[in-house]
Amino acid sequence: MQKNQRIILYILLLIAGASWVALSADKTGASTSGNIPAPQVGFAAPDFSLKTPTGESYTLSELRGQAVLVNLWATWCPPCRAEMPTIEAMYQEYKDQGFVVLAIDMTYQDDPFAVVPFTEEHNLTFPILLEETGDVAALYQLRSLPSSYFIDREGIISEVVIGGPMSEALLRTRIEQILK
Amino acid sequence: MILLVIAAWIGLSLAEKRAERHGIHKDDLNNVIFYGLVAFILGGRISFVLQNLPTFLKSPIGIVSINPDIFDAFGGLAAALIAAFIFGQRRELALWPTLDALTPFLAILSIGMGLAHLAAGTAFGKVTDVAWGINLWSATRHPTQVYETLASLLIFGLIWFKKHDPRPGILFLTFAALTAAAQLFLQAFRGDSTLILNSLRQEQVIAWLVLAICFIFIETRFKSSPKAETDSAAIHVK
Repeated sequence: MQKNQRIILYILLLIAGASWVALSADKTGASTSGNIPAPQVGFAAPDFSLKTPTGESYTLSELRGQAVLVNLWATWCPPCRAEMPTIEAMYQEYKDQGFVVLAIDMTYQDDPFAVVPFTEEHNLTFPILLEETGDVAALYQLRSLPSSYFIDREGIISEVVIGGPMSEALLRTRIEQILK
Repeated sequence: MILLVIAAWIGLSLAEKRAERHGIHKDDLNNVIFYGLVAFILGGRISFVLQNLPTFLKSPIGIVSINPDIFDAFGGLAAALIAAFIFGQRRELALWPTLDALTPFLAILSIGMGLAHLAAGTAFGKVTDVAWGINLWSATRHPTQVYETLASLLIFGLIWFKKHDPRPGILFLTFAALTAAAQLFLQAFRGDSTLILNSLRQEQVIAWLVLAICFIFIETRFKSSPKAETDSAAIHVK
C-alpha cells in the first residue's frame, strides 16, 4: 500500500472511530450502576434489616448519610476474629465523623451461643447483627469470610474487600474514602 | 489473579519462542518481564502508600501488610515500564525489537485479563435485552467480558500468524492499534464507564488517542531503515 493510501485509511478509520465515540455517548446506560442494588463497587448496597442478639433492629437504608462498613463474619473464622479488634479501634476513632459498622454474623452457619461471648471478650461496641436465614448472605453473594463492603454516604459501595484480616492502614484508607 | 498468572506464564513461553526472530535473546526477554513484574508489585504498593501518606504515617506497619488491596495498579504499571526501560537501556536493547518480542506476552496477558474480568464480574456491560445477554449484578447485561476475551483471542491470532515483518516495531504497533480499536468499539457496551464532557466515555476517548498515536508511529516505522535496526539488535543475540 502506498503512503498516501495508508494516510487516507488512517484518517477514515479515525473519523469512523470518532463517530462511534459520539454515537455511543450515553448518559443513562453507561454508568448508572449506582441505581441498581448489587454487591459490587459502584452499585447501591443491597438493603437488609437484621436484629442484634438483644432484639434491636437495624436497616441499612436508614443509615443513608453515614459511612457504613458492612462486615460479614463468623466466630469460627480465624481472620474474622483477628480483624475485629482493629475494626473496633477504627470505629472508636471515626464514629463521631459518621462512621458506622454493621458486623453481620453468619448465624445460620455459626454457633449462635458463641456470638455474645466473643463480642464481650473483645469489647466490641458496634452493632453485631444475626443473619439466621442466609438471605443476606445470598443478597451479598457471599463467597468467603470475612467479606467487607465499604458504603459511602450516598449508599453506594465504594470498595469490597474479600478475605482478611484487614490491616489498620487498609481500614483507615477505605474509611477516610467513604467519609468524604 | 490465578488467571493472570497463568496467562503471564503462557505468554512468556510463547514470547520466548519468537524472541530471537526479533534479535532479542530469550534471557533478556525473561529479565525484562521479571524486573517489570517485580517493579509492578513494589511500585503499586509504594504508589498507594504515597497517595495515603498521612494514614501510613499513623500506622507504618501497614506498608508491609499482606493485604493485596493496598495497591495502586496505575502506579505499578508506571513503575514496571520505568524498570523495563532502565533494564533495556543497561543491556542496550533496541526499543522496537524488544517491544516486538514482548508482543505475544502482552497479547496473551490481554486474553487473561478478559477471563479475569469474566470470573470476577468486573468490567461489566450495560443493561440490554439482546438474546445473548448474561444475568449479572441484578440485571441482564451485555457480556462485555466475553466480547473482550474474544477480541483479544482474535488479535492474538492475527499477530501470531501474521507474516513476519522485518521492520522493527510494526508487530507491536499493529497489536497496540488493534487493541485500541477493539477497546474503542467494545467500550460502547460497558456499564461502568467514566463519563467526560457530559456523556462521552473516557475509555473510548483514550482508545481513540492511542489509535491515532499508533498510526503516527507505524508511519514513522515505515520510513525508518529496517536493516540498520535489525542488525543492531542482532548483536545482542550472540
